[in-house]
Amino acid sequence: MNDTNPSVTEADLHAYADGQLPETARARIEAFLADNPDEAAMVAEWQAQNSGIRSLFAGYEKTKETDALLVSPPRAVSSAPKRAAIAAAALLVFALGAVSGHYAPALFEKPELQLAASETLPKQAETAFMVYAAEVRHPVEVFANEEAHLATWLGKRLAIENLKIPNLQALGFKLVGGRLLPVDGRPGAMFMYENQAGERLTVLVGRNKENRTTSFRFASSDNLETFYWIDGELGYAVTGEISRDMLRQVAEECYRQFPS
Amino acid sequence: MKTPAPETFEGQILALLPSLRRYSRSLTRSDADGEDLLQDCVEKVLTRRGQWRGLNLRGWVLTIMTNLYRNGRRGKARDGLVELDAAVELAAPDVPADPQERARLDDALNSLSEEHRAVLMLVVIEGYTYSEVAAALDIPIGTVMSRLSRARQRVAERLKADNIITLRRPK
Repeated sequence: MNDTNPSVTEADLHAYADGQLPETARARIEAFLADNPDEAAMVAEWQAQNSGIRSLFAGYEKTKETDALLVSPPRAVSSAPKRAAIAAAALLVFALGAVSGHYAPALFEKPELQLAASETLPKQAETAFMVYAAEVRHPVEVFANEEAHLATWLGKRLAIENLKIPNLQALGFKLVGGRLLPVDGRPGAMFMYENQAGERLTVLVGRNKENRTTSFRFASSDNLETFYWIDGELGYAVTGEISRDMLRQVAEECYRQFPS
Repeated sequence: MKTPAPETFEGQILALLPSLRRYSRSLTRSDADGEDLLQDCVEKVLTRRGQWRGLNLRGWVLTIMTNLYRNGRRGKARDGLVELDAAVELAAPDVPADPQERARLDDALNSLSEEHRAVLMLVVIEGYTYSEVAAALDIPIGTVMSRLSRARQRVAERLKADNIITLRRPK
């Protein structure tokens, strides 16, 4: 094209096809194209490509329900974990008052936040069990049919490499699933199991830098039994309305299977 | 999930998402890749918010997305392509909505290199001027023009290749 008309370059033709020329320049190119059918066909081809491309992708210019989540990834939001922690704390106080009345005086004497993790862990485990184990249709967020995903997801949130969900089949308990929940105001994991009689138990895992390793401990309120222990920064609690002996076996099995 | 207020940084990004989604899909070869690129871009934008100079947020985000696409997506597995789905319903007065032609155009675009595709989409989808493309990609304007030219030539060749269906030309 530069041969036939040095004043019109290929760049001019692109600019014409893309509508990037002022009016006077457009008229000049149109006059050129009228005399140069090959170039005119090429420009028409480019314009057809343009409208084809625009049409191809125009439908993607849309909102999705998850858009708000996209701009608020968990680690960018500082207020959400706090809100969750506040809610959990409120729930804890409520549950303590309602179920384990004998703890209440201690709670009022000593602010809850000053309790060491080894003291708060069994109570949080009891609360989680009471809230979730009673749920018929939605006891967990992710069911056992997605066990691998559940382990990867919660492992990531708790910063545990290769988190293995304990297998309690030998003791007659099958995994129902699990969920993310706040433990000491941080992301924690809860796994729920069920036996053939429909009895459930929960395994709670939480990370706390202030944790101090403990031996197995036992807590009991009404019919609810909890075994708990702290291993490094990770706290574990096994809770269920089952016999203390069975629960101890479950706790020992979990201790064996969780990586130390 | 609470929706961020429109005047906040997150709110402004949220308002841009639909058009960012269109651009990310225009760069990629499948719906899933388009959403991945969009998510990667938004994540980067949120972590780099301190670097935004307060002008032309959209241009800043588009540059980040284009660079992510050019730098990070090369060599990504090219299998598992998903057909265009969202665009099918839309009205397109100039272009026949023949699914076969759309598929051929999609295929032709997928044959472009990342560098060529980014230039073409910034011009065609985002309506960037050539100098804006040069600034966004940090390349000379001559390079913009040669990439644009090669991209169009390549698409035209692919569309003509088996000579069964060509795009209808406007008169």
